[in-house]
Amino acid sequence: MNNAKLKRMTRRTEFYMFIVLLLLCALVQFKSGGKLIALPGVFTRLNVTVLRTMVVDGMFAMCSLVVMISGGFDLSFPAIAALSYSLATTICLNNGWCASNPLAGFALAVCIGWVLGMLNGWIISNFKLNTMIVTLGTQTFFTGISMGLLKLKEITSTLPAGMKAFGKLYIFESADPASGIRFTLSAMVLFLIALCAIVSFLLNKTMFGRALYAIGGNEVSAERAGYNVKKTKFLLYSAVGAVAGFIGMIRVCMESQSIPKAMVGKEMTIIPAVILGGASIYGGEGTVFGTMVAVGIISLVSNSMLILGIDTYWQQFFNGLVILVGVTVSALQAKRQKH
Amino acid sequence: MSEYLLQMTGIDKRFGGVHALDNVNFAVRPGKVMCLAGENGCGKSTLVKIISGVYTRDAGEVVFEGKSIQHITPAEATRLGIQVIYQDLSIFPNLTVMENLAINNEITSGRRIVNRKRWEQTAREALSKIGYDIDLYAKMGELSVADKQLVAICRALLFNAKLIIMDEPTTALTKKEVDALFKTVRQLRDSGIAIMFISHKTEEIFEISDDVCIMRNGKNVFSGETKSLTKKDFTYYMTGRELEDDYFVPTNISKDPVLKVDHLTWNGKFHGVTFDLRKGEILGITGLLGSGRTELALSLFGLGKVHSGAVTLNGKQVRITSPIMAQKLRIGYVPEDRLTEGLCLRQPIADNIMLASLKQLTRTLGTIRHDDVFNKANEWVKKFSIATDDARKFASTLSGGNQQKIVLSKWLNNDLDVLILNGPTVGVDIGAKQDIHALVHDLANQGLAVIIISDDLAEVVVNCNRVIVMKDGGIVGEMTGEKITEENILEIIR
Amino acid sequence: MKSKNLQKHSYTFMLLGLMAVVLLFFTILKGPMLWKGDVWRGIAMQFPEYGVVTLGLMFCFICGKMDMSFMALGDFATIMAVRYMAARADAPAGGVILVGILIALGIAVVGGLINGLLVSELDIPPVMATISMQLVWTGLSVALTSGNTVKGLPALYTEIGHRYLLGFLPVPLVIFLAIFALCWFLLNHTVYGEKLYMVGTNIKAAQFSAINTKRMVVGTYILCDVICCIGCLLMVNTMASAKADYGTSYVMRCILILVLAGVLPDGGMGKIGNVLIAIVTIQIIATGVNMFPSLNTYYASLIWGGLLLVVLIMSTRMEGGLLRRKLFAKR
Repeated sequence: MNNAKLKRMTRRTEFYMFIVLLLLCALVQFKSGGKLIALPGVFTRLNVTVLRTMVVDGMFAMCSLVVMISGGFDLSFPAIAALSYSLATTICLNNGWCASNPLAGFALAVCIGWVLGMLNGWIISNFKLNTMIVTLGTQTFFTGISMGLLKLKEITSTLPAGMKAFGKLYIFESADPASGIRFTLSAMVLFLIALCAIVSFLLNKTMFGRALYAIGGNEVSAERAGYNVKKTKFLLYSAVGAVAGFIGMIRVCMESQSIPKAMVGKEMTIIPAVILGGASIYGGEGTVFGTMVAVGIISLVSNSMLILGIDTYWQQFFNGLVILVGVTVSALQAKRQKH
Repeated sequence: MSEYLLQMTGIDKRFGGVHALDNVNFAVRPGKVMCLAGENGCGKSTLVKIISGVYTRDAGEVVFEGKSIQHITPAEATRLGIQVIYQDLSIFPNLTVMENLAINNEITSGRRIVNRKRWEQTAREALSKIGYDIDLYAKMGELSVADKQLVAICRALLFNAKLIIMDEPTTALTKKEVDALFKTVRQLRDSGIAIMFISHKTEEIFEISDDVCIMRNGKNVFSGETKSLTKKDFTYYMTGRELEDDYFVPTNISKDPVLKVDHLTWNGKFHGVTFDLRKGEILGITGLLGSGRTELALSLFGLGKVHSGAVTLNGKQVRITSPIMAQKLRIGYVPEDRLTEGLCLRQPIADNIMLASLKQLTRTLGTIRHDDVFNKANEWVKKFSIATDDARKFASTLSGGNQQKIVLSKWLNNDLDVLILNGPTVGVDIGAKQDIHALVHDLANQGLAVIIISDDLAEVVVNCNRVIVMKDGGIVGEMTGEKITEENILEIIR
Repeated sequence: MKSKNLQKHSYTFMLLGLMAVVLLFFTILKGPMLWKGDVWRGIAMQFPEYGVVTLGLMFCFICGKMDMSFMALGDFATIMAVRYMAARADAPAGGVILVGILIALGIAVVGGLINGLLVSELDIPPVMATISMQLVWTGLSVALTSGNTVKGLPALYTEIGHRYLLGFLPVPLVIFLAIFALCWFLLNHTVYGEKLYMVGTNIKAAQFSAINTKRMVVGTYILCDVICCIGCLLMVNTMASAKADYGTSYVMRCILILVLAGVLPDGGMGKIGNVLIAIVTIQIIATGVNMFPSLNTYYASLIWGGLLLVVLIMSTRMEGGLLRRKLFAKR
């Protein structure tokens, strides 16, 4: 029994990805002379930066993951996030809201994202169209709304104080022993952890989550088994929209700026990461753990370029290479298993 | 309490102008296995869908456990204890066995939170119903078809099923697996559950069923105990005519073999296969699923592997590594699965017919004229009387038999020495079946060497002058002429 | 017979109707401003660059494959070409330009080959393979240019690009028309085109019909990427430079045009004539939007996205649900 379990584990993509992550950590740790993890404080300037980059990417990856598990493909969530946060911050700014706390901004962004997600959900569940093409359409449409129709402006220094302050919250503070530069672990990491926990609970412990796997595995059977596929899909896409709005707002707070253009093309880096983490583009496969491992690998690679002696301009190339190799390996593995 | 569990009288169903079911009567007894038999398109699946509540009947009466049922919905059918195991088994390949077993139950009981313990309990309970043991945490997609089927049966039993309908359950099973399935079916029958078994295979029906209902063209032409039927009667009822097939009489067999296969082996699929084939012959290769018959054909067509052994064509030893090479060596192959391997359904009939011989129509600089394609294809449409008014229509607009004629003409348009037909009449209606058989006879007598691979023994017996029987990847028997009978083949095959 | 023809071309008529509606809309709003020669010269100057790219991608779609990397590859190829040309400012411009173009096309061939091999030999799903390659090519471009614009193009290059043939045909438009004619010929009058539609419809059946499907897939990727690269070379002409992310915004636009034209990535579908209508319609919208000083270019994407959604929803009613099917068939 135990043996069978081990065998099952070694067959999963995320198992290998995890080993790769560990090896990578060891490499960075060794190359940098112990800058990745320092004892006894654990946190270093490098690893808090890695964690910080993981917040937004990781949360977006969660959105993409649930959609992919259900057998869909969402290209529109960055556009939803962009429209939600830029519109929400603009409204807050014009009304003088969010001077002390960002709650109103978050509420607005979530609501806007929710409405936009509902449009996705309505089209996809009602007309049974190819999800990739529909979300390509809504992506273009939403971008057009935010930058064409509403002409939302970049908001940088005038960002409401509440949002700025919120983004600067931290749960850990220390100074680099060598240079003495202060560094902090952003409190936003907590949101990432919370979202991972929620998605993990949703996927594994609720019938809704199992429905996503079931629909991704075999939509006809899911319908025959008694699931309301249409309703599930509608709920899924609208929820993803709401969460995307929330994530966008987190990003605004963290960066202390709201730039409508900042999200363009984001899906092209998130989706490969989710695939790298073991999710199948055919649906029905994927875990929170695997996805986070993949996001971790990519964040680590992009943040430790300098330490590994690589020019930062090569960062994108190596990200691409890591993903290409990962995708190739998992495709070969699938091919081997088939025979 | 009546003698019958389910009694249907005068069932009528129309789809537009098509009279799918015409005054069908039949009944299922509790604790008995009832076979619903019939050729493709005779209305079997429509009837099943009426029982399971997917379709509503236009007229007729349904009585279940003595009570008349007016309107059946899928949920109502489940509540009554009617469970359908569809041909695709309705499983989730990406989930574990445990989840597959328990998920329907959980949904029906309207739960929202997953409780692993309860799921496992449900799953174990389901497995215990037929005393079946399997790793609950294995992934469904990695199981064999037979195991998947047993899981589907267990799942059906969870709903206190009184009637289990199995739609062509043996299609993708090996003989051993069929035996295991039948054991389970008998076990269920003995525990008082009625089984409705849908099939068109004579042997199976006589082996397993107590009662049989035979349908043809939307009518039931026979219902009663299996014992009261002879196999001859059965075939008559199924096909609507006395079997008066034209047996193949070879008239033009060449002296030297055109194809010689010597100890051909594909590790794990087939081994040491040796035979030769002359022009004008029709060689039958038969065997159960998993006997290596299809793999052998694929290897001869360049899509399989060859680990050892040799193929000699017209006296020259060849290595066939791709279909392109097979075509050059004048070998044609009509594949097993017409829809996925044989046709581009969303393309015109004409283009499908010409697909393997575009070279003939190629002009300078690789150009081609659509009129040429159309005209050349039309010759075949006329020659084979393919039922279409315009060869520019999609291949998907045709019936199975006519589609098969497209695939055949695709290859006959090439100059061939050897034509391999894998399951040439699967899913083809009787009329077209006869046409295709007659055509193949003609081709052979004109000097083509033909191999028919089929598990339809009647087809092999009628059409072949020589038969090779395969089992577990090896040749276990060869017979010629008079010796080719279904009984003789069956004797070796088991 | 006539009604059958009408039915056969119903999608074309719908697209033409759409174009007419768009024209009518802008005519009502802007009146004679739309019908000035300058406006149409502008249209003719602008659409060739992404029009050519779209024609390239069309081959991939008809083959039932997806390419996400074409723009990243095109950007990389043009960067290398411009770098080469810029470094040889003192040599005769004609020869340098020729070699530069050959360099770009050579890189495109290599990129297409890699895509094709990843998809046909390693069986990686096309979307996954080409998204990865997109990241790799963009990564290479960024690494080599440090994310900067590459300038120093020989003056002759942009000069040729801004000339008019016969006094009224802009050279980019001539190039587009030439490539369009070539593509039309390839698709409709060659064995390759005939096979392409069949392979795109059912690659397995094509393989069982003795068609070298691997060669078809690799060849189609190469053809697609080479044509896309020509589009990028036209873009270099407009921008007078090359950069790692010039093409990024065109990826989605090209897919959008193809889907609008009924060329779906499911394969085996679509007509090149419809693609031309869709390209021009999309450009008219962009130009029309530009005529309103208060509207920015993003307003066009609002209309494009909305249009795509409306056409998609409408097509579920008219095309017998062709667009409904899943993009990724289960293995």
